[in-house]
Amino acid sequence: MNPMIAAFLVLAGLTCASALAMAWTKNLLHAALAMFLCMLGLAGLYVMAYADVMAVAHLLIYVGGVLILILFGIMLTQNSRADQYETHNDLWTKQSGRFWALSISLSVFLGILFILNRSMSSFGMVSNEIQRSTKLTHVGLALLTEYSFAFELAGVFLLIALVGATYIAKHHE
Amino acid sequence: MNDIPLSYFLIVSALLFSIGLSIMLLKRNMIFVLMGIELMLNAANLNLIAFSRQDDQIQGLVFSVFVLVIGVCEMSVALAIILQIYRHFKNIDLGAEKSRF
Repeated sequence: MNPMIAAFLVLAGLTCASALAMAWTKNLLHAALAMFLCMLGLAGLYVMAYADVMAVAHLLIYVGGVLILILFGIMLTQNSRADQYETHNDLWTKQSGRFWALSISLSVFLGILFILNRSMSSFGMVSNEIQRSTKLTHVGLALLTEYSFAFELAGVFLLIALVGATYIAKHHE
Repeated sequence: MNDIPLSYFLIVSALLFSIGLSIMLLKRNMIFVLMGIELMLNAANLNLIAFSRQDDQIQGLVFSVFVLVIGVCEMSVALAIILQIYRHFKNIDLGAEKSRF
């Protein structure tokens, strides 16, 4: 077997298995850990798609930022129990009915597969030569020249969102 | 050196999207629902990156940077709102008696 394909299959298996574990478990902290593994596998998949810039950015933002934010959210919204000093990390969550959720998502998955199968022949028309080099220079140049307005707008948007989040999370009297 | 076919990425992305959808529909905890939404956003991002592999102008890559930024903004604002909901209702379950969502 081709080593590229083998590495891809390992990474895809890690990503999909940890996503399934997220859906399976009822424990919120186990789900956060599974999300960590899922983000690691996704970053590996980005590397396999020759997008190393996005892989590094994804690792920095999701593993370093968003997951910590989620863990803080879990910590701050925990229901206080009678035994506060229990050291177990079992945060059980409730579930809705399984039937509708699983059937709807399974039918969405099969529908997407059907569409992909139908349009598989047209992928060959758009495919140019695959660029196997790193795209860091191209991404930097494109962000600061062609997409500079959108880039600045994204920065302003991020600032507004963070200021708004801190204002919302403030303890209003 | 042969590359990975495009359809493999698309199948993984479809699987991730449907798992995120099932988490969103299955769980009652708001933070869990938010994690499902993140998973769906990342599935869309994987699609963009896989298609931009064959693009001379890297539009898909640049667009996925903006998707990342929007995802982080959504996450921070939603967690702040969840914190306020917890302070008000002492409960963050969707469809619970106390919170009435």
